[in-house]
Amino acid sequence: MLAEQKGGLIAGMVVGLLWSASKVTVPKLTSLAVDRAILGDGSLVFWSSLIGVMAVVAGTFTAWRRWFAFRESRLTETKLREQLFAHIMRLHVAYHDHTQTGQLMSRASSDLLQIQGFVVMIPITASNLAMVSAIVVILFVQQPLLALVALAPLPFLNVLATRFSRRIHPAVLAVQQEQAQLATVVEESVSGVRVIKGFGAHEVTAARLRTEADDIRNVSVQAAKVRSAFLPALDLLPNLGLLAVLALGGHMVLDGDMSRGQMLEFMQYIGLLIFPLRNLGMTVAFGQRAAAALLRVDEVLSTAPAVADAASPRTLPGDAPVGAVEFDHVSFGYSADAPVLRDFHLSIPPGASVAVVGATGGGKSTVARLLIRFYDVTEGVIRVDGVDIRDLRLSELRREVSVVFEDTFLFHDSVGANVAFARPDASAADVEAAARLSGAHDFIASLPEGYDTVIGERGYSLSGGQRQRIALARAILANPRVLILDDATSAVDPSKEHEIREAMRTVMDGRTTIVIAHRPGTIALADTVVLLDEGGVAATGTHDELLATNERYREVLAALMDDDDIDAEVSG
Amino acid sequence: MWASGAISDEDKLDRAETGKVLRRSLHFAEPYRRTIYWAVGLVCVSTAATVAGPVFVKFGLDHGIGESSARALNIAVVAYLVTVAIGYVVGRLQYLAINRAGEGFLRDLRIAVFDRLQAQSMAFFDRNKAGVLVSRMTADIESMGELIQWGLLQFVAAGLLLVMTIILMAVMSWQLTLMVLLFVAPVLGFASVRFQRQSNAAYLDVRERVGTNLGNLQEGITGVRVIQAYGREAEQHRRFVSSNRALYASHLRSVRVSTWYFGLVEWAGITSIALVIGVGGFLVHHGSVDFGTVAAFVLLLANLFEPVQQLSQLYNTVQSAAASLHKLYGLMDAEPDVAEHPRPVELPAEGELVAHGVTFTYDGTERPALHDVSISVRPGERLALVGPTGAGKSTLAKLLSRLYDPTSGHVSYGDVDVRLVSLASLRQRVVVVPQEGFLFGGTIRDNIRIARPGATDAEVADALEAIGVLERFEEFAEGLDTEVRERGSRLSAGERQLVSLARAALVDPAVLVLDEATSNLDPGTEAIVERALERLMEGRAVIVVAHRLSTVRRADRIGVIDHARLVELGTHDELLAQGGRYAALAEAWARSQPTV
Repeated sequence: MLAEQKGGLIAGMVVGLLWSASKVTVPKLTSLAVDRAILGDGSLVFWSSLIGVMAVVAGTFTAWRRWFAFRESRLTETKLREQLFAHIMRLHVAYHDHTQTGQLMSRASSDLLQIQGFVVMIPITASNLAMVSAIVVILFVQQPLLALVALAPLPFLNVLATRFSRRIHPAVLAVQQEQAQLATVVEESVSGVRVIKGFGAHEVTAARLRTEADDIRNVSVQAAKVRSAFLPALDLLPNLGLLAVLALGGHMVLDGDMSRGQMLEFMQYIGLLIFPLRNLGMTVAFGQRAAAALLRVDEVLSTAPAVADAASPRTLPGDAPVGAVEFDHVSFGYSADAPVLRDFHLSIPPGASVAVVGATGGGKSTVARLLIRFYDVTEGVIRVDGVDIRDLRLSELRREVSVVFEDTFLFHDSVGANVAFARPDASAADVEAAARLSGAHDFIASLPEGYDTVIGERGYSLSGGQRQRIALARAILANPRVLILDDATSAVDPSKEHEIREAMRTVMDGRTTIVIAHRPGTIALADTVVLLDEGGVAATGTHDELLATNERYREVLAALMDDDDIDAEVSG
Repeated sequence: MWASGAISDEDKLDRAETGKVLRRSLHFAEPYRRTIYWAVGLVCVSTAATVAGPVFVKFGLDHGIGESSARALNIAVVAYLVTVAIGYVVGRLQYLAINRAGEGFLRDLRIAVFDRLQAQSMAFFDRNKAGVLVSRMTADIESMGELIQWGLLQFVAAGLLLVMTIILMAVMSWQLTLMVLLFVAPVLGFASVRFQRQSNAAYLDVRERVGTNLGNLQEGITGVRVIQAYGREAEQHRRFVSSNRALYASHLRSVRVSTWYFGLVEWAGITSIALVIGVGGFLVHHGSVDFGTVAAFVLLLANLFEPVQQLSQLYNTVQSAAASLHKLYGLMDAEPDVAEHPRPVELPAEGELVAHGVTFTYDGTERPALHDVSISVRPGERLALVGPTGAGKSTLAKLLSRLYDPTSGHVSYGDVDVRLVSLASLRQRVVVVPQEGFLFGGTIRDNIRIARPGATDAEVADALEAIGVLERFEEFAEGLDTEVRERGSRLSAGERQLVSLARAALVDPAVLVLDEATSNLDPGTEAIVERALERLMEGRAVIVVAHRLSTVRRADRIGVIDHARLVELGTHDELLAQGGRYAALAEAWARSQPTV
């Protein structure tokens, strides 16, 4: 990563060195000007012009130093964030199941900022160090004794700054923690306002807020005490240096051991040392925090995706008929002690459709997730057209097997782009055809900007049924060998479902389809129905057969129906 | 220090508003007035100490070295030493004083804003996004905290330092001062104003792009399952890179702004040294100034440049703090629209809850959400409200429980207008049980007790017992003292609903208002919640916003709300016979049942 930025970093270093050189020159020139031109009989114009020229040089290098340092550090941050994003996209679903979104977000934002904050200090600190060394050498060469006395307090600046960073850090964390607690109270009171209003419970929350507000004030004043102990001392130390120059240097000038110009030069040099030395302490503290952040980022980057392409992938056979699916004695559980599927066996011939019916939480959706390798089976094999899906490229498997999920995730993009999700290069006509089939075209056409209307979390919001139709269109456009509809019409108004049913029939025609549904009308679309109970296939048959013969099937179906929301029906 | 604040044009306050915010803040900071005076006094002293340093250097150079007087030099050294010591001590004290006053001010502000927020009606919370309200109380106030920690002090100190330095320079040599100001003022003034504007714009741009980029990042992470299911990883990455690079470009623009400014300031600083040496040297040769003055000027120049840089960077921060305060004061000025009557009466123990021709229009909408609805609930009666989403059934429930006041018409309980009664007595008679059991941080007991803060442990246990679930909660390792953790992640959805029901049982009201949960529980828990609810409803009047037919069937009467009006009202059988909306609904439901 940093190797690519070698050029920029070297440029930053070189500019930094030139900057230190120009900065160091100014007091020297001032001293010479004082002694030669003001107190001596040299040319004032010459010496002040020389300082003027140095002003242009120092100004230019100051700007460049800043520019290179920030540019390179931002580039590091930017590239790391892209690398992180790409990796997160590849990480297996089980990883995402147990990692909070907020965690990953802070890896890619605040942690990277801490790293950036340190990277920017690298060239700046290097040039600061160069300047500090140069000044120390100059002062010692000129007046070793005075240099020793004047510089004596300055190392403490560095010590103080380092100590300060270390002491203030926990204090700042404490403040942040208390702020977070107050935020929780406020957040709860706003989101739980119905409870508070319903019971008239203002006093309780008001008292809690008062406690938190008091806590914040107290820890903030504590943090202020730490700052007050250190910050004035940072001002004090250089002043002690200046004082030493005036006291000792003044007598040296009186004794004729030093010129007045040199004395002024000493004072200016000490002034120049203040910021670099303070910075050095900060750099150390920043470095420690950046190292911790880098560790956290690396933890994500070094997690290998558990579901990945095979080393030597096979391809699916191309000759028709295609779309045979086989769950060959499959067992699987999200955790080792809670199996969801046990010896699940299901074989679907090419082009056939199967409805999977089972109680809520019984593993229906797991069937869908295993088939697109969101998870790998713990026992048994899943095959598509005779090939173990673990031997396929993920991209090929997921191109040929599409799932329409119950809750449709829409991206902040146009409706058209959301439909063309699987095939970004699809023509407008293809997109529209898919939308017509899924029954989405009519409402899309009535949106303010039709297919160009921007939707998603930060855009135009659609109803659950509309979202599901878009998801269906997405799958239709993907044109897979195997289609899985995972409760894909649950939010569609039942009175409108028959319209979609037509579309589903067209889509399912000649295509292997697995339907996970709870409305009898949708279940009946499938050639066969499989009752999933206790992790395995409990019964197989047509919908009517099972209704007539299977008691458990009737129970499960009745329970599913009872869950169904009636709101949609009333509005129909 | 790089300024962290920025302000958009629409947030910028004009002079009159700024004055108002300032006066109001001074008034609000009244309890800390003495601390503030003390702090300002200290700032003056410490700034004077900073300025005095070069003066003693000049004295030492002119009277000590210039006149070869070791005594004068020693006087200068001692005076300098004393000044430095004073500066250090005063520096510590001023820092503490300003923080004490500032943090106290923020504490009071937090409490005042929150109290006002809580007094607002439900309608207010519907109007304002939760996120915005929370960020007022958190981010807005916290950003002022940064200002108080170091900014305010720096702002005042920088201004003072600038003024004192110029005065001091003028006293030492008006010619040199004039020359320095003629060069420095236009250059720095122009550059700083430009920088302040550009950096503000650049910062706003960065902030916006950070937001967009985070949005894309979050979309990628939350949508990772769909992205993987459709093999869109590469495409999604490409899109992320494009917004990420736009952010990078924006960062670079922002850096460029500070780059030229810092370069220019550096140039101007050294150039003024050159000028002081050149012109000052000329004046020394002509005997109109001493060499010590020139030396003091060279040292004092830093006091001109640093404060100007600080001021121009802090300017945006101060402005955005003023804008935050303005918004907070606005929040504090909002009058609660469902307020308690100044001379409230108590409600009778029992009575009929009646809506008399109520109409309600949400703020900012034209069509009423509820139009001229009259309905009553007798003690012990169960009324179900059904209708399409958004038809107005929840609004009616909210009016009946006085979470809102109707735009016209009124609601009475036992023939008393509910607007005349004390909120406390109303909440004892009429309790709203929200859809899902919302939990606050704390123990299970705390969460139940929120309904009646004075209740004893035994009363809390009784409430749980009354709905038949005490044992279930006592089975937890720490019983009712179990911490529910954030958002009740340790309790199941069903258990959370039980806590919510126990709250209502603790109040023991005459009327229950229920908004039925739309989300499904697993069948086992569902049955327990149902039983608890049944026991809670026993002997009370109940108004339920129903989503399930099973609930509707158990009601005494059913009201059908459609398009803001009450269109049908009667028993299940009556409405079926009527053959209207309800009949159609019941039929649709029967049709979709499996034919068993």
